[in-house]
Amino acid sequence: MRIATETGLFFMRKMRENLRQPMWVIANLMTPLLYILLFSPLLANIANPPLSMAGVLNSFVPGILTLLAFSSGMGAGWTMVWELQSGVTERLRVTPASRFAMLLGGVLADIVNFLVPSILVILISLACGFSVHLLGLVILLFLLCLLTAMVSACSSSLGLIFKQISSVAAVVTSLQLPLTLLSGVLLPISLGPLSLRVVAHFNPMYYTVEASRQLAAGTLASSQTLIAFVVIVPLLALALWWATRVYQKAVH
Amino acid sequence: MVYAIEAHDLRKSFPLKVRKRAGASGVGDTGGAEGAEGAGGDAIAASVEAVRGVTLYVAAGEVFGFLGPNGAGKTTCQRMLTTLLSIDSGSAQVAGYDVSKNPHEVRQQIGYISQLGGADLPATGRENLRLTGRLYGLAPRQVEQKIAQLSRLLSLDELLDRKVRTYSGGQKRRLEIALGIIHEPQVLFMDEPTTGLDPQNRLSLWQHISKLREGGMTIFLTTHYLDEADQLADRLAIIDHGQIVAEGTPAALKGQVKNAQGQQPTLDDVFFEKTGRSLRDISWEDEK
Repeated sequence: MRIATETGLFFMRKMRENLRQPMWVIANLMTPLLYILLFSPLLANIANPPLSMAGVLNSFVPGILTLLAFSSGMGAGWTMVWELQSGVTERLRVTPASRFAMLLGGVLADIVNFLVPSILVILISLACGFSVHLLGLVILLFLLCLLTAMVSACSSSLGLIFKQISSVAAVVTSLQLPLTLLSGVLLPISLGPLSLRVVAHFNPMYYTVEASRQLAAGTLASSQTLIAFVVIVPLLALALWWATRVYQKAVH
Repeated sequence: MVYAIEAHDLRKSFPLKVRKRAGASGVGDTGGAEGAEGAGGDAIAASVEAVRGVTLYVAAGEVFGFLGPNGAGKTTCQRMLTTLLSIDSGSAQVAGYDVSKNPHEVRQQIGYISQLGGADLPATGRENLRLTGRLYGLAPRQVEQKIAQLSRLLSLDELLDRKVRTYSGGQKRRLEIALGIIHEPQVLFMDEPTTGLDPQNRLSLWQHISKLREGGMTIFLTTHYLDEADQLADRLAIIDHGQIVAEGTPAALKGQVKNAQGQQPTLDDVFFEKTGRSLRDISWEDEK
């Protein structure tokens, strides 16, 4: 019970911090909107005959949500470095509060940072012709929340290990592009040669993108969805365990 | 004798980054360095022993000063005593609990104000205090009472609802002290409490620390300022290169030495006598 209270306290702390940085909130919203407005029209003419806007959105929006899930979690490392350098981490670590709660509070705040722009993206896409299965969408968002949590925990660990914003930023952003390309977010991996398709299977995001297309289309029970959960849940547990362990020892 | 802090033969080493140096040996002059040449002879994996067998006792209600230059191992010692760093060898008890075996109990009994402070800058003073109070298990109503009390003690009144980002150095320090004592710890650790403050704020902070001592709190403070140790500490230990080189009341330590110019001996004379160096000179170099 104590751990839940503490998690709540750390979550509220992060949320207040986020709301005080409106520029970040806006920046977070812009990326997915730009993809939809500036990139998805290009996809329409790839196929012959050209796809309708609705057709494009149906295959593209689930991927965009995955992209958003990743980028919402990846900033956690920056914050960790900042808190380490300013002594916040040490101050919190001398309190008897649970270290897992300290970490989880931030992870949950990142999940909110993912959900709010996601819902906005979905609403705008719906207005442009995107059709989605409601229950499928709920399961899809849940799966992607787990992805955000996993990325957030990993980024936190990296921040505490490297202890420098420039290093974490370099590592995380250099992972972001290959993971994005190899997940089939922008174009389906099935278009690629065998080697690319094989490498993609080592990318956790590939499974969430595959599952999210099924779920958005309303196929609730598919092997893709099952596999995505089987991949993400243990990875998330591992990432949280790792991050808590690193956090327990972090000093400036 | 009831001790608030007991440490026996504390030791701590840190790995040094593997550096490529052709045929080099020796790894700086901080603490005792052990070098080992790797295969090929150009990579040196080494560790620095930052704390080399520190034994100390602090009585309940005492203000204990830990004096030494930057890089002497003060902060490392304090981080071990406050559960922030693991202890390589030796043992320590704080407020009656073993630091390695019962870190959770130790954390409930201590306050720690690091050199960096660590208040949340985007939050207000009140929000900082509320969070910290709740983390120590105080009920919301108790927290509000404590905030009112601390605000009187540390003159925080007009600061509470401002963001910490807008505070001056001295104001931020006072808030951080409030954060460190909101749960009425038995033992308060302070790391270089007045570093970065102007003389006026230092003086005011010294008065606040004296008030805490009058309330019966045991205070363990590290400093590299001679006058601060002299002014505040009932007893002090001088640490250099990870080892305690002298210990006693400021008066007793000064009684052991003579001043070179024939004036009243100072703690710097004590430091010079024990280490062959002057703390005034080496404090300039930030060896940390």
